[in-house]
Amino acid sequence: MTKVNLNGEEVSVEMTGDEFEKVKDLLDREPTITELGGFDVMWSEHCSYKSSRPKLKLFEDAEANYDYVLAGPGEDAGVIDIGDGYALAFRIESHNHPSAIEPYHGAATGIGGIIRDVLCMGVRPIALLDPLRFGRLAGNSHSQWLFKYVVKGIADYGNCTGIPTIGGEVEFDDSFENNCLVNVACIGLGTIEDFKHAPSRAYNPGDYIILMGGSTGRDGIHGVTFASRTLTEISEADRPAVQIGDPFTKKMIIEATLEAVKTGFVRGLKDLGGGGLTCATSELTGDGNTGANIDLRKVFTGEPGMTSYEIMLSESQERMAFIVKPEGLETVLEVFKKYEVAHAVIGKTDDSKVLKVFDGEELVVSLPAKALSESPIFKRQEKRPGYLDQLLAQKTPEPTITLKEIIEKLIASENICSKEWVYRQYDHEVGVRSVVKCGEGDSGVLRIIGTDKFIAASVGVNSKHCYLDPYEGAKGGLVEICGNIIANGAEPMAMVNCCNFGNPEIPESFWYFSKAVEGMNNFCRKLRIPIVGGNVSFYNEDEVSKTAIKATPQIMIVGIINGLENIITLPFKESGNDILIIGETEAELGGSEYHSVIHLIEGGIPPKIDEEKIQARWNLLFELYQKRLIKANHDVNKGGFIITIAEMCFKDKFGADIDLTGYNVNNLRDDELLFSETVGRFVIETNPKDQDEILDLAEKFNVSVNKIGVLTSMPEINITGLNQDVKLNTNKMKELYDSTIPDLMEI
Amino acid sequence: MTIKIAVIQFPGANCDLDAVHVLNDVIGVNTSLVWHNHFKEADFDGVVLPGGFSFGDYLRAGIIAAHSPALDEARIMLKDGRPIIGICNGFQILVEAEFLPGALLQNETLRFVCKWVNIKVINNRTAFTHKMNKDDVLAIPIAHGEGRYYTDNVKKLEENDQIVFKYSTEEGSITSEANPNGSLENIAGICNIEQNCVGLMPHPERASESILSPKQTTHGRIFFESMIEFIKQRLT
Repeated sequence: MTKVNLNGEEVSVEMTGDEFEKVKDLLDREPTITELGGFDVMWSEHCSYKSSRPKLKLFEDAEANYDYVLAGPGEDAGVIDIGDGYALAFRIESHNHPSAIEPYHGAATGIGGIIRDVLCMGVRPIALLDPLRFGRLAGNSHSQWLFKYVVKGIADYGNCTGIPTIGGEVEFDDSFENNCLVNVACIGLGTIEDFKHAPSRAYNPGDYIILMGGSTGRDGIHGVTFASRTLTEISEADRPAVQIGDPFTKKMIIEATLEAVKTGFVRGLKDLGGGGLTCATSELTGDGNTGANIDLRKVFTGEPGMTSYEIMLSESQERMAFIVKPEGLETVLEVFKKYEVAHAVIGKTDDSKVLKVFDGEELVVSLPAKALSESPIFKRQEKRPGYLDQLLAQKTPEPTITLKEIIEKLIASENICSKEWVYRQYDHEVGVRSVVKCGEGDSGVLRIIGTDKFIAASVGVNSKHCYLDPYEGAKGGLVEICGNIIANGAEPMAMVNCCNFGNPEIPESFWYFSKAVEGMNNFCRKLRIPIVGGNVSFYNEDEVSKTAIKATPQIMIVGIINGLENIITLPFKESGNDILIIGETEAELGGSEYHSVIHLIEGGIPPKIDEEKIQARWNLLFELYQKRLIKANHDVNKGGFIITIAEMCFKDKFGADIDLTGYNVNNLRDDELLFSETVGRFVIETNPKDQDEILDLAEKFNVSVNKIGVLTSMPEINITGLNQDVKLNTNKMKELYDSTIPDLMEI
Repeated sequence: MTIKIAVIQFPGANCDLDAVHVLNDVIGVNTSLVWHNHFKEADFDGVVLPGGFSFGDYLRAGIIAAHSPALDEARIMLKDGRPIIGICNGFQILVEAEFLPGALLQNETLRFVCKWVNIKVINNRTAFTHKMNKDDVLAIPIAHGEGRYYTDNVKKLEENDQIVFKYSTEEGSITSEANPNGSLENIAGICNIEQNCVGLMPHPERASESILSPKQTTHGRIFFESMIEFIKQRLT
């Protein structure tokens, strides 16, 4: 908080004193209180990206470099052309701070916000995905409470709006105990025409501005400035700054908006999120190079006596702003009446390039339309944390229990076990598009009805790897998430990210952000994946324990599969078939589940990424797909490849005889070989008769492919070729895999 | 003459477009999406009350929609024997509007549940099940938070042959493990005494295309094919 002198009165603002001076310079006068409130919100970290913008410039050229990118960073959502006249819009953002205070409504309104971002591209939201982070559940009732109500908030909101939640991921780690992460992603599908009808700018003077949806109340005022402050003990007192969602109204808004867009009379569309009416009107006119006259008396408010300051800054949920052609006003209003959604014409655009807001006769805001978006930029300092050297140097202790015991502990561990408890609560089938459903594949796969085209999407990153090395960790996240959709047969088309980091004013925290962005940027350029959008959440720190969260640059990838026959699934299919592994295993136990679950250490060397090797493996996979040589595919993730194999056995109760004699080319210790989390590996099922052809192709593509076993119909996994033989019962493993979260949550 | 089906769009319905898609594109029957205030029974031979959260399920699931003018229209169809099906939220609406007896309570777990289950055909003489065999087991998904069927007079249901489906194992055993929500006697769907109105929690529209089904089944189609056949027989 800064105290500044406004027209002789002392006012508390979130901005710095320097920023206040900049406001006065920009206007060449003292701002009104409503104007100052607008600057305060719009120049907050959350709205202005003032710390991250210099770094995020790296991502800015997606539209120029990829002809299928229709909207890139800076828009409400990224949009790509997926052929046959269809456009796909998608975005991911954070709702961490509200969820840490009030998990149910915080998560629900997060879903509400991300749906609006996609809807305002003019397309129908068809899927949600939610990557989450909490403290460890075992013995921690606070973490259990957050987890339970965040999941319920997502479920109740998503289910009610009829948008299936088709994927997500969750990690439990102490660093998130008091600062959970709730990231929400949404995918929308429409025609390219639909998208063209809904630019998020008001570029034509003389159009009507309509506010539609929920009424404007006192909830959420200054929610934005609050999100840019580190959480403190006082934050519980900020509870009124968390908004309340209304999924029913949202559902009506979705239908009314899509029907209004179809009339052809809508010329611009913007959702009201952080910064409320201030943000929406200034961005519409600023980006459109127009101005506007707004009359606040027309705004329908939820309570009497609201000041112009409150109306302009309210972040009440479920509101949209429409720019409508004059000749279509009646038609559009008729649509809103049909759906019984509240609406009001609150003003008109003009060519003044000034945003003028009246409260009756009184002019309360008169600003150059672009002024609010001209926030100062902060060049933040970055410094590699001193503790990293010691962490990276940590050696893996010799295990004191058997490999079998280790595997059974790992498969039951919170970060590896089944997340069925979560996805059973999400309606993941509404919309009749879900072809590969939750728990059945590495990614969610949706059909596009009326075509033979499919959308695959996955989201996630490994926070423990990023903690040890944000540059390689962010790249590793890309390898893993691309690997998820590739395992289902899809080619990655585009990426959006959600960067969750600590306080950017602390050089060590900012270093994590900086390195992660560089990692994502370098990888995406080398592998030709456009970055079409992002969101940054800083200040994820807990002042009580003085810890920052583990760096978490969440990555979402979408891709396309052409033809039903080209969808590959995870479960093993037929006993007698070969089990092959694509990619070598390196001694990369740093940040592994093995380290944290068995040895209670966090350090060691995390996985490193070699883009050329990764590209070669993906190329090989698509060649093998095309020749129909792969029966099942699952990418190797937490816990190493034995966990992967077990997961592939579970559905149809297969077993496996694994012989690792020829695979350990790097002469690793048994535990290194089994539990390293080297990224970019896949376990595939193939027919023995195709073995020679596959190995020949592998050589041609210069990819390491090894046969490591065969499928059996016995419920056991037998591992030989190590210093100790391992015999696992898959029924018991499945029981361990399934029971961890229900046992912790159903008490 | 062409058979015409209406799918009623209550505010907050969200399986409405799914039902329209299956009826029009999979079953091939002329089907319209009708806004609840605009629905006129005289235009239609059968009606589907789709799943979703009508009016946000505020107050209680289905209770507000039960007072929509669409239900007054549907009541005329109920009386003259035209087929009416309520799926999920549609079932909740039919119960609240007293087309069907009993109530749908919160799931025993107090959590929403979305999964594929098996249901056993108990009554194959209704407008929506007459092309099924008694004791057939159908694979079909559920997705609901308030689906626990309850009635204080289950005996009367049995006497009148109003129990249409029960949750069962894949082999057809009616066990507590096969009951996903705690419904009384595993009841998944019921009908009126005249057997032209059926309500059930599972979603036949999600089980009508092999591409969506874990075992490539299309058991959901039989509901709609039965309805079409029923309408044809009524008309001739």
